[in-house]
Amino acid sequence: MEPEEVKKNADFMVKNLAGKEVPGSASVNVRYKTLVAFAKVYGITDPKYIGSEEEGIIACHGFANNFTIKALYKLLLGMKMVQDGKERPFMLNPGKLLHGGQKYDWEGCVDVKPGDKLKIFAKWGKVWVVEKNMILFAELLVSVKNQNGELVCKPTVIAAVRPGGY
Amino acid sequence: MVKISDVKVGEVIKNEFNGITRDLLKEYAKASGDTNPIHTNDVIAEKAGLKGIIAHGLFSFGFITKLFEDFVEHGKYGKLVETDVSMRSMVRCGDLLITEAKITKIEGRRVYFDVKQTTITDVDVKDKNGKIIKQFEAGERGYISEKDIENGLVKTKDVPEGLLTYRERIATPGTAIIELFQ
Repeated sequence: MEPEEVKKNADFMVKNLAGKEVPGSASVNVRYKTLVAFAKVYGITDPKYIGSEEEGIIACHGFANNFTIKALYKLLLGMKMVQDGKERPFMLNPGKLLHGGQKYDWEGCVDVKPGDKLKIFAKWGKVWVVEKNMILFAELLVSVKNQNGELVCKPTVIAAVRPGGY
Repeated sequence: MVKISDVKVGEVIKNEFNGITRDLLKEYAKASGDTNPIHTNDVIAEKAGLKGIIAHGLFSFGFITKLFEDFVEHGKYGKLVETDVSMRSMVRCGDLLITEAKITKIEGRRVYFDVKQTTITDVDVKDKNGKIIKQFEAGERGYISEKDIENGLVKTKDVPEGLLTYRERIATPGTAIIELFQ
């Protein structure tokens, strides 16, 4: 992609993304086996996270990675925009996407349990471009709720997209 | 038991993990749903210019949440409120991943930390004549860059077999907040 087009697309993203809702939602059905497998990757042995299904377990905090990835793959990579009257994907080349940073906020949130049906929504926060390398940075503010409408986590993803990817 | 009266500004908690393998990253890919093959397939990672697979960005992050879960004994004495990190450099199989958190502030029952994850990547061991007698994945696949050398990240130390060359760099700087119950 020519530098002029990169600049034009960067300006378009900065003007059109910040504060906008990401259309649609993603969902995650939380399974007992997945929670246990996830905890075991980290060598977690506490029965609170890997105990029997009958006694009941909760997700370890790291499991927030699971629904964050869903948000990234389904919402961000599937997002469409209209530029110069034509529809285009947000990501022109998903291979140019980098994970720049990650925040998890559990303030006022409830635990994730097997059987939960999570709904994930997102909107764009701050969007900026580093002119030196024309990497586009965009905050994706994610909200994850369970089937009762209770918040389980508020992740913020910093997506970094290299030139040619946006 | 950990209580607010027990913790002090400047105190450091830490964990170390030296079991990052291809099999573990496959298990993580399955459990996390992040099935991008650059994390599990060397051929695809090489085609993407990565010289070999890299750990998922969020994989390392799980060791930060584990550090705090262990500290508050899995919700018995407190809870994790927030973590916020930047992904600065790649983590690879064979790396030693050191996760450290230093208390910077205590307000009420809230404890604030600076968090840092450092990777130690072994490259090779040389004998007295400078001949390589043992090579690690980073040496074989060429993970160490000129920039690493320029930035002084590549170091050496004596080990029983000879002189070990390794790289030490920060992978994930950030912050965290926990709340203790007492």
